[in-house]
Amino acid sequence: MTVRETIIETQNLTKYFGALAAVDDVSIKIQAGTLHAIIGPNGAGKTTFFNLLSGNLKPTSGKVFYKGMDLTGKPIHRMIHLGIGRSFQITNIFPNLTVHENIRLASQAMEDNNFHFLMDTAKMDRCEERTAEVVERVGLKSQSLLPARVLSHGDQRKLELGMILAPDPEVLLLDEPTAGMATEQVPELITLIQEVQQSGEKTVVLVEHNMNVVMSVSDKITVMHQGKVLAEGTPAEIAANHEVQTAYLGGLYDLKV
Amino acid sequence: MKNNSSFLTKNRGILIFFAVMLLAPFLIGLFEGSTPLMIWGNQGSLSKFIEGLGIEIFILALFALSFDLLFGITGLLSFGHAMFFAVAAYLTGIALKTLAMPFWGVVLLVLLAAIVQALLFSLVLPRVKGITFTLVSLGLASVFHIIVMSSDMINLTGADVGLQGVPVPAFISPVTERLRFYVIALTLLVATYLFYRRFVASPTGRVCVAIRENEDRAKMLGYNTTIFKVVVMIISSLTAATAGMLHALYQPSISPSIADLGFTVTGLLIVLIGGVGTLSGAIVGAFAFRLLDFTLRRFMGESASFITGAIYVIFVLFVPYGIVGTIRMRQLRTKPGWQRLLGMVKPKN
Ligand SMILES: Nc1ncnc2c1ncn2[C@@H]1O[C@H](COP(=O)(O)OP(=O)(O)OP(=O)(O)O)[C@@H](O)[C@H]1O
Ligand SMILES: [Mg+2]
Repeated sequence: MTVRETIIETQNLTKYFGALAAVDDVSIKIQAGTLHAIIGPNGAGKTTFFNLLSGNLKPTSGKVFYKGMDLTGKPIHRMIHLGIGRSFQITNIFPNLTVHENIRLASQAMEDNNFHFLMDTAKMDRCEERTAEVVERVGLKSQSLLPARVLSHGDQRKLELGMILAPDPEVLLLDEPTAGMATEQVPELITLIQEVQQSGEKTVVLVEHNMNVVMSVSDKITVMHQGKVLAEGTPAEIAANHEVQTAYLGGLYDLKV
Repeated sequence: MKNNSSFLTKNRGILIFFAVMLLAPFLIGLFEGSTPLMIWGNQGSLSKFIEGLGIEIFILALFALSFDLLFGITGLLSFGHAMFFAVAAYLTGIALKTLAMPFWGVVLLVLLAAIVQALLFSLVLPRVKGITFTLVSLGLASVFHIIVMSSDMINLTGADVGLQGVPVPAFISPVTERLRFYVIALTLLVATYLFYRRFVASPTGRVCVAIRENEDRAKMLGYNTTIFKVVVMIISSLTAATAGMLHALYQPSISPSIADLGFTVTGLLIVLIGGVGTLSGAIVGAFAFRLLDFTLRRFMGESASFITGAIYVIFVLFVPYGIVGTIRMRQLRTKPGWQRLLGMVKPKN
């Protein structure tokens, strides 16, 4: 593999909830253009770590750097404009708006005419085109005019993913994009994520519980456990790591990669 | 999703309303035997009375419209909304009476004050959310109500008696030029409504709806939601101020009751009756509210307020989407119904 630049770096990132160190002194580097998986048992601190990266939570101590720029204290609404998008483990959409409108709002944020208040939104051609493209790509075309709340759970997960694809960010932070999806729908979604990542040279940070998926798609894996980094390496290295085996994978995953 | 239908077809409802309302005084004149020329000269007494009722409804509708933009579209429930209306009304009265300012100067002053007030309310917007905003806005408006009512202000505001005898410029005198006043109020209402419709369909308006639905998500999509809320606050305040100014010009006296919570609740009720977030519901609701109030008072005197209160409670419980909201939902179901029926009748080819 070619040498890649670091796009995201955390330095001693720590987050306490009361006395609980949900993220404890995490220093990692994420290479641009790679798919970097973060795994770990429930409660390991993966979502909290994401919240620190995306600005949803302020760290107790430590810093996050993006392309060398300190992200600490940047308002949440700046993130997508800097090139960082995130999706949520618990679906976070506009339930009463249509699928189309959900995606359109995500894409509209990247336009520069958000304060033209006599313009007809339906005539923002580039935005409409992008919306139609993304709706089609995540496979929701036939449901485009339905309110998001009536979609099945799996389709809401696709919508959630569509809302991060629409603005086309450089970095995609995906928190269990397949959470709660029917097993047969998972490969389709993972393939889509891989396509987006590879064709656009994107950086994807992926939290995922399905070990088969993680082992097959990741360039690099970070294993978290009780807020700390337990191990880091390529899928093969992680699979061979004795500590990871006992602490986390122990018996749950067949390590014949 | 291109929508190429013209301005006329898209706004058919409000344009018909505009035409009917313009003709109404003349049609009513025919009933009482006044010729259109007499109506034009402000002579028919029944039509003049109806024009007066119309003006009151248009003012209420403007106020309710501004409330719906904040509450129904953007999800900001302000319990201090009456202040936007009352400040404009009092300022108009004081500027005309005590300061003897020229009319257009007064208009400018009132609109400026509306913007300043909106910014004042906006100071708290980034910090508070939901019910806290509601309470803070109530607090701000209560301070204003207390100031208006205080006896130290008696020379300016008339304290609890109200501001009496505002000298209204002759060209819009509600007594001698009532038809003109009526047409101006109607035109302002229709123009504001058309502007609001466009606004809600604009990129800015769509973000406001997103803020109502899920503000945190809107932020994470990349919108600085505070700025959008400030913009809406300013538009809403300017509209409420227009209504307040018309109120001061139309009424012979300005009562402090327009500055209290009760008047904000009137705005809320109108929007609830008409349909929250529908915009046209503000107009429909203002008609329903004012006409019901008028009829009941006519037949039952002061005890009517009890009955109106009860009617509203029942209405809000049983027609939660309001008049316009309910009609829209029925349309959603009846349209495909009719199509299905036609499909059965029409021969297949
Ligand atoms: N807002 C919060 N307040 C208090 N404790 C929290 C908060 N958010 C998370 N925690 C705690 O921090 C720890 C880490 O939680 P986190 O959600 O980051 O784990 P996770 O690795 O994403 O787990 P999962 O695989 O279940 O999603 C847990 O013990 C959790 O209970
Ligand atoms: Mg999690």
